[in-house]
Amino acid sequence: MSVFNKIFKLSKKTAKSLLNNKPPKKLLKTELFSEEDKAYILKELTNKEAIERRESLANQINTEDDWQLVKKEITKPVIKLNRYYAAVAVLVACLAVGYLIKQNYTSVDAPQIIVNNIEVGSDKATLTLEDGSQVELGEGTSFESENANSDGENLIYKKPNPKNSQIAYNYLTIPRGGQFFVELSDGTKVWLNSESQLKYPVSFVEGDTRKVELIYGEAYFDVSPSTENKGSKFKVYNNNQEIKVLGTEFNVKAYKEEFNVYTTLVEGKVEVGIDDKKEVLKPSQQSNLDLQTKKFKVYEIDVYNEISWREGIFSFENKNLKDIMAVLSRWYDTDVIFENKSIEKEEFIGVLGKDQDIVEILKTIQNFGIISDYQINDKTIILK
Amino acid sequence: MHSISLKEFKEYFDNQYMSLCLFANKYIGDMEIAKDIVQDVFVKIWEEKITFKNESNIKTYLYTSVKNKSLDFLKSKTYKATNKLTDLDIQKLETEPFFLREVVVQETSKIIHEAIATLPKKCAEILLLSIQDYSNQDIANELQISINTVKAQKKIAYKKLKPILKEYFLFIAFALE
Repeated sequence: MSVFNKIFKLSKKTAKSLLNNKPPKKLLKTELFSEEDKAYILKELTNKEAIERRESLANQINTEDDWQLVKKEITKPVIKLNRYYAAVAVLVACLAVGYLIKQNYTSVDAPQIIVNNIEVGSDKATLTLEDGSQVELGEGTSFESENANSDGENLIYKKPNPKNSQIAYNYLTIPRGGQFFVELSDGTKVWLNSESQLKYPVSFVEGDTRKVELIYGEAYFDVSPSTENKGSKFKVYNNNQEIKVLGTEFNVKAYKEEFNVYTTLVEGKVEVGIDDKKEVLKPSQQSNLDLQTKKFKVYEIDVYNEISWREGIFSFENKNLKDIMAVLSRWYDTDVIFENKSIEKEEFIGVLGKDQDIVEILKTIQNFGIISDYQINDKTIILK
Repeated sequence: MHSISLKEFKEYFDNQYMSLCLFANKYIGDMEIAKDIVQDVFVKIWEEKITFKNESNIKTYLYTSVKNKSLDFLKSKTYKATNKLTDLDIQKLETEPFFLREVVVQETSKIIHEAIATLPKKCAEILLLSIQDYSNQDIANELQISINTVKAQKKIAYKKLKPILKEYFLFIAFALE
């Protein structure tokens, strides 16, 4: 046992003895410390002044406030460049400096921000009920019905009534700039990303296969296992793709403007299929279904980059600027125009906190010399 | 890839931050700088994606890093220019026993503090005094209650703490496997 394990064990025993008003035998007998050190430790723990001193120092520490500082530091846009691009960036930066110096003499700078109406995304969704009526969910709203309730951050369905044998469907639609969490009647948890729509039964019929449809967009599923649902299977449909779930966690991405469906398995086992083609995924594998050729590609992937959106972080690894801006445009509900097409293919490694202001992110990209300038007008970003 | 989520990372932080600040302060004697040092260590863990096998592994890393960073600070030119710590003082702070005994103090205080926080107010007050070696009579005098109330409250406290303390031992037994 390492000295540290001994130290931690000794601490626990000592705490227990003192709490129970018994002599800390383990501490008194240990060979780890000299008699003088033992006396010091006991004094620090049991002496009135020492306890009060500690208390007053502890009062100077606000763990939550300081966590916010750390969080800000670790989720601020730290866009790291590939080695190759780093070299290019330095070059671009040098050229840019030259350019800026020259510009000062020749022209007045165009304003970077004309009107900025771009906001950070938030929890919001539209719930479409079985009778076709719609309910807006979001911060500050609450909703309660026979089958479900919502506090504005999430929507929770009640356990199914066993007498219920009729299937009624609800739709949850997440707009651009939104995200939402829903727990279905079987306890399956679903996180929905911006610009997504999910169709699901208000309550599952006991014993029947549980079926939901991701009509478009991106969702992370944590499926309640068959063993807890009288053996009934769970299936997710999207664009003719069928995912047969064998108790598990996975992410499905199928945005409207893309011709591919990406299924990433985090835990457990799933089978993806279209027509008569089938692939079984293992954890950390992703399948990419090309909707035009109806063919699957399966490969290993860094799962974190695919699912970090759920935790308020965008994590990109070797993604090009065009793909990154596509993700950001959904969360910030904005349009992006590349005035300079050649920068679309620039690749990044980066981590962005989802609560960042868009201007901060653009500034970081600019500071790396990838874009020479940007402009925001209403809800449109122009990259130059 | 991060093998822990931001949420788990926050749990580590919430769990250890205060102890580590108090620990760093023992070296530095300046709480603001102590906090900066501890925050830097957490940022580094996240940014360098440092992974750990178990709980005692994390703590070992945290205490060791905070100690090293604190000593680096004490040896820095900026600090030396304005303070009177002699090389001999620093040598004393650098010894293994100084380090280990501070770890024991912080870890033990933390467990005591967390355990007492789960108790009702009166119980907690009595137990705090009992840790300071007050006899039942002393406690009764101090809080102006009867000695029988003290005894009864202590019993309640021991009973309530039993499962909590047990859990600690089960957990550590598991971590040491």
